[in-house]
Amino acid sequence: MKNYIDFVADASWNTLKGLWVTLKFLFLPSITVQYPTEKIVPYPRFRGMLAYDAELCIACGMCVRACPSRCIALAKAAPPPAPPPAADGQPAAPAVKAGPKIEWYTIDYGRCNFCGLCEESCPTKPKAVWHSLDYEAVFSTREEMVRRWKRGDGPWGTVKRSADAQPSAISDQIHIQDMPVRK
Amino acid sequence: MTNHAPPAGLRSDQMFINFGPQHPSTHGVLRIALTVEGEVVVKGDPDIGYLHRGMEKLFEARTYSQGLMLTDRFDYISAMHNNLGYCLAVERLAGIQAPLRAQYLRVLVAELNRIASHLVFFGTFAVDMGAFTPFLYAFREREMIMDLFEELCGGRLLYTYMRFGGVSADLPAGWAGKCTEFLNFFEPRLKEYDTLLSGNPIFKSRTEGVGVISAERAVSWGLSGPILRASGVNYDVRKNDPYCVYDKLDFKAVVLQNGSCWDRYYCRMLEMGESLKISRQCLAALASAELTPGEIVAKGVPKMFKAAPGQAYAHVEASRGDLGFYAVSDGGMNPFRMHVRGPSFINVAILQEMLGGCKIADVVAILGSLDIVLGEVDR
Repeated sequence: MKNYIDFVADASWNTLKGLWVTLKFLFLPSITVQYPTEKIVPYPRFRGMLAYDAELCIACGMCVRACPSRCIALAKAAPPPAPPPAADGQPAAPAVKAGPKIEWYTIDYGRCNFCGLCEESCPTKPKAVWHSLDYEAVFSTREEMVRRWKRGDGPWGTVKRSADAQPSAISDQIHIQDMPVRK
Repeated sequence: MTNHAPPAGLRSDQMFINFGPQHPSTHGVLRIALTVEGEVVVKGDPDIGYLHRGMEKLFEARTYSQGLMLTDRFDYISAMHNNLGYCLAVERLAGIQAPLRAQYLRVLVAELNRIASHLVFFGTFAVDMGAFTPFLYAFREREMIMDLFEELCGGRLLYTYMRFGGVSADLPAGWAGKCTEFLNFFEPRLKEYDTLLSGNPIFKSRTEGVGVISAERAVSWGLSGPILRASGVNYDVRKNDPYCVYDKLDFKAVVLQNGSCWDRYYCRMLEMGESLKISRQCLAALASAELTPGEIVAKGVPKMFKAAPGQAYAHVEASRGDLGFYAVSDGGMNPFRMHVRGPSFINVAILQEMLGGCKIADVVAILGSLDIVLGEVDR
């Protein structure tokens, strides 16, 4: 009986000590973030959703080879036609301004591991494929997870609703927070 | 252990219970097939394999550097140790030596990850034992470590931080200060945890003397890590087979004697203190002038990595025990064979011996104190 009372007293005392610890934090500011209304901006090295810039891409295919899960695919553009040979006494015709060196580029977000190996292997400066800070991605079908850029499209993360419309941000697919931060 | 023979004249029946794979206390998808008689477990069989992804085979279809991403997914609570073990094995295979600064960085992140991993254990074990508050405290501190890792390497859980011959990134500006700030914040918290849980008589009576593993049984089942050291066996890879710079650092392997659930729990709590000490020493070394900032990867390691034919084994002291990687190369771009010695897989095997004879409520205590991660058990 005495043991029992001792145990109850001991347990109560220790519970009070534990409660004192919790009480100390009761009046400190909250450490939680109310997610949909408050959002944390990740650190610059954060590996979020992949972003891509066709203007910088040289279609070397390093990212395709680096990816462990084969989520990237691309096709090189046909080389621009060579300028006509200069006629005698005439200055050579200026070279045709080369467009993007890439025909199409695909990222399958359903397979992406967010490991950063593609970004690390990208030889251009700044990187043509990089992890943005975006961590909010919602897809409703598997087909949506495969994002494709092809010649004539606007920047990555935008879509043309019709032939003459200006590219606008994809709102129902990938929502890049503000602008993807360039590293 | 317990005498479960029914009193004379009473008929007793055995009942079969599936514990898991969806039970919250299994911390993953472990199924334990329990045969109980009243409240006493007659037989308990752990049934694994629900999370099997064929990782060891996947290594063979990937190049060495692509395989790094897979190692994160073994023990996802302490991915840095997996990265480190894999890199050490491949470096041994190819004869690469990481520069000193990279080695200090590796030890630093590994020890921080050990703290984070033991905090998860502390929180979830407390929840299993019916105390909810410590969970919130543990995850508050763990969140700070996650933030540090996010700033350092971009990942919060799956880091892919190590590279062959070094690490992928040096410390960002101001990181060391933030880390010191965290360590200063964390040190007094350990005492708080003792007040909340370690010394609590209710918690103690549920864990002390429950699920005792003797030193002989622990060794013969091949256990490792805090479970082994809680049984009084002084074996720590960091001490017995030092890798990186552990032989230059001042710390001690925590050894407790009784081998009960409480000892396994308290061994981890003391280990957090040791990891804290190691982290401080690493930060001091990184700040000294001898280690040139930016010198984080060994020179001349090619991007497309090819190892000479041969084999190599390297093991590290992960949060859950002795984690080993055995790599065999036939000279190609991919490993010919990669074998992983996952500590959780070997530690979970002793359940079949321990569960017979204990009470149902103790099953959760024993399982929780083993602290397995199913990603590593099934691979």
